Amino acid sequence: MNAYRVTEHRKRWIILALITIAIACLLSPWASSHPDGLERVAEDHGFLHQETAVNELAAIPDYEVAGIPWAAVSIGLAGAIGIMIMAAVLFGLTRSLTRSGGDRNEQRTDGLEGIDRI
Amino acid sequence: MHIPDGFLDAKTWITTTAAGAGAVAYSLRQAKLALEPKRVPLIALVGAFVFAAQMINFPIAGATSGHFLGGTMVSILFGPWIGALVMTAVLLVQAVVYQDGGITALGANVLCTGFIGCFVGYGSYMLGMKLFRGKGRAIVAWMSAWLSIVAASAGVAVLLAASGTFNLATALTAMVGWHMLIGIGEGMITMLVTGYLMERNAVMTGGGFKNERLSRNRA
Repeated sequence: MNAYRVTEHRKRWIILALITIAIACLLSPWASSHPDGLERVAEDHGFLHQETAVNELAAIPDYEVAGIPWAAVSIGLAGAIGIMIMAAVLFGLTRSLTRSGGDRNEQRTDGLEGIDRI
Repeated sequence: MHIPDGFLDAKTWITTTAAGAGAVAYSLRQAKLALEPKRVPLIALVGAFVFAAQMINFPIAGATSGHFLGGTMVSILFGPWIGALVMTAVLLVQAVVYQDGGITALGANVLCTGFIGCFVGYGSYMLGMKLFRGKGRAIVAWMSAWLSIVAASAGVAVLLAASGTFNLATALTAMVGWHMLIGIGEGMITMLVTGYLMERNAVMTGGGFKNERLSRNRA
């Protein structure tokens, strides 16, 4: 909407980052373990047993890092790893989207220079 | 509301995988046009926040929980194309690293919680802002996030019914019923975060459609 835009106050983004870290590392072990809406529906209507997992190679299944006896640490670590992966993936993806136009031009210039030299 | 492997039959998951891949490819092109370099770290941060917030299941009625999805929130902040890409990235990481949401169901999850969530949420937000002329932004944000969750759950219900798990009317009643409750939490988080991260433009534009589009891309 033309009346609003995302804030440019650096402080607000830093606080969002701190909240994100706190949620992922400290709050995550205390999340409710009740089935979520879809799991509830699947249970009530008798198709929860159909659930399988194709991806047996998942590094951190069910948000618990294996080999750590304390659930709070195991889940908090899973959260910490997750936010780092997310930030890295999205930083890489969006940066490549902003740059891909420029890169192509640079490559084309390089190519032309090569031809000139020949 | 992450669909696991096994809930969708072959025709449904193959169709939704193809449709999801097409939608993501198209979004990449659209997002490229709307993306400003200085937004890159902010989008990465908001994506990390979405991942973290999705880990927090909050209890609702009947020994059931719900969690935030975030499509409307990201779309209000950065537009629906970038919103859909952020949601796709979150769902991809969850399925691949955390076994949360199926690999065969990834396309279906991307379409429902990603695209339906982002576009229903963003569309109703824009409509609400227009109807109320920018007043009551918080309530408009709350309602559009609530609506996006209800719409996404209806999408999941349709896919489950198409897979023959149960009939459409039962699926819709059950899924929409629970997600009308879960949507309350979605609305709260969306309202608070967008309220905190958005501010009024210092310069009000004249209100022409062209101006609006330009500044929307900037916002």
